[in-house]
Amino acid sequence: MTTTVRLRKIGFGALALAFLAVAGSSFYHQRYLPEAVVLGEGVTAVTRLSEYGESLRGTANDIHLYVLEGKAPGGTILVFGGTHAEEPAGRLAAWMLVEHATIERGRLIVALSANRSASTVTRPGAAYPPEFTIPTAWGGQRFRMGDRWTNPLDQWPDPEVYIHYPSGQYLAYVDIRNLNRAFPGRPDGTLTERTTYAFMELIRREHVDVAIDLHEAELQYPVISTIVTHQRGQDMATMVSMTLTDLEGFKIGTEFSPRNLHGLSHREIGDHSQAVSLLFEAPEPFLDATRGRTNADVLLTGKDEFVVQAGKRGLLFETIDEHGWPIAKRVGRHTSSVAQTMETWTEDHPDRGIVARGIPRYKDLVRNGVGFYLRDPAVAPAGRVVYE
Amino acid sequence: MLRRLMLCAALVVFVAVMALVCLPTAAFTQPAAPKAQAPVLVTSCGQSPGPLKVTVFLKRLGIEYDYKADATDKDIASRKYKTVIIVTGASLKGMGAAGVAMKDELARTAGVIDAARKLGVLVAGAHIEGMARRSQGAEAGDNSDEQSIDAVCPKSQLLIVRKDGDEDGRFTTIAKKQNIPMVAFEKNLDLEGVLKTLFGK
Repeated sequence: MTTTVRLRKIGFGALALAFLAVAGSSFYHQRYLPEAVVLGEGVTAVTRLSEYGESLRGTANDIHLYVLEGKAPGGTILVFGGTHAEEPAGRLAAWMLVEHATIERGRLIVALSANRSASTVTRPGAAYPPEFTIPTAWGGQRFRMGDRWTNPLDQWPDPEVYIHYPSGQYLAYVDIRNLNRAFPGRPDGTLTERTTYAFMELIRREHVDVAIDLHEAELQYPVISTIVTHQRGQDMATMVSMTLTDLEGFKIGTEFSPRNLHGLSHREIGDHSQAVSLLFEAPEPFLDATRGRTNADVLLTGKDEFVVQAGKRGLLFETIDEHGWPIAKRVGRHTSSVAQTMETWTEDHPDRGIVARGIPRYKDLVRNGVGFYLRDPAVAPAGRVVYE
Repeated sequence: MLRRLMLCAALVVFVAVMALVCLPTAAFTQPAAPKAQAPVLVTSCGQSPGPLKVTVFLKRLGIEYDYKADATDKDIASRKYKTVIIVTGASLKGMGAAGVAMKDELARTAGVIDAARKLGVLVAGAHIEGMARRSQGAEAGDNSDEQSIDAVCPKSQLLIVRKDGDEDGRFTTIAKKQNIPMVAFEKNLDLEGVLKTLFGK
């Protein structure tokens, strides 16, 4: 080997190591970026999902559960964001509940990162930003920008075909890492299945009456701006949708959970527990395949000229204009929908009512922005900050 | 002289034609809405989720009803019902889940309407989901919403319509042409008041 070849090899090797170091550092920082949660006055306990699924202990998905219990007895509602970690409005809406809601009657249980593992990786090759910052009066809060699927570092390899348990239905191979295709799960399955199993155990053991899964969707997806409901929740979802559309200033429809499509929370939670299961979808142009630049700005403003063009050509199932779909509107849709669900549930089930106050609603968030409602961990009372 | 006569004749013809064109409109007065009676059969023409918007209020008002997504003329022949409310506007997803096509829905609904009219059951056609069920947002070439409306509304004895779905005057035109009473309402939650009045609750 000549000296020139040796030097060339050393040079390329050093370059590869430099790329590895830069990329590895980025991946590491994204995976371990701490996200502060300031516990609002309404949070009465913080526990872990492994309480309901021992095999999760010590894994990326041994997530926090925030319990807000009222003084008066009533029903129980579970709200979880972060099933798909690249849909940040769901996570941020859950943040609003934990930092601001107070329960007067009944109980609210919140998960901010239902599939925490998915929040520690972005989509390979999709140029997703590793994180995003919500501006606040105290400087801004950083959040991990995740992916739809469990991190392959936590669950790998994928099979050729994913056979859903227990239905036996064949699904896309990658969806074995999709939390919203892995309900109701099993105690000895994959990490994703063990996570959904623990959620099911939580729902069964804590006698959850209503379970709400918060999502966002691309505008080219027909199931958008809607409440997807299990058949036992159809009346409630219809009433919630009509009330929100009339009174809150945004349109939201209802869709029925298909009985023969398995693994989804709105199907399996309702089928395998006593809870009524609902899934809320808000519009997120960032997810549209026809989007232009893929960065944190598009993620938060929801503005994209190419998606607007797609709308002009009649290719979308939701409207969009140059104002986009800002994160405040998307989070506000979710918080108002959760609050309205509690109100409608209470009207129909006075013996198991759930009464909350302090939840920022759609108009509040549109007026003040999301950052206005994020609390500064630096000035939080001692012992009232948790990191996701 | 001949020219004057021809001019007069043309004028008379013009006035007559204008009178024929304008008279039906000018003379149209909204017929009174009939009183609806329970029990009620609620169904859709197109498997949309719309019927639930009716049934949640019927339940709250304590009006006896059955919701049957696949109601047929046999349900009417059972003589159990005094009113049938058919919600128009189609859902491809709903039809897919039910394993039916639009032609099946049109045939099923035609059977329900014919049986109801024969047995004196009040037929109310409803369009309560606004422009979202007027082909807005539908896939290219999908006119199932309009087929659903055409199959039900002109044959109904009462129309219940959310106003934003009538922004092009579609239902007003049907009501005028067929002399069908139409009750229009603004907001979703106003439907409860509409049903309350119709059923004398």
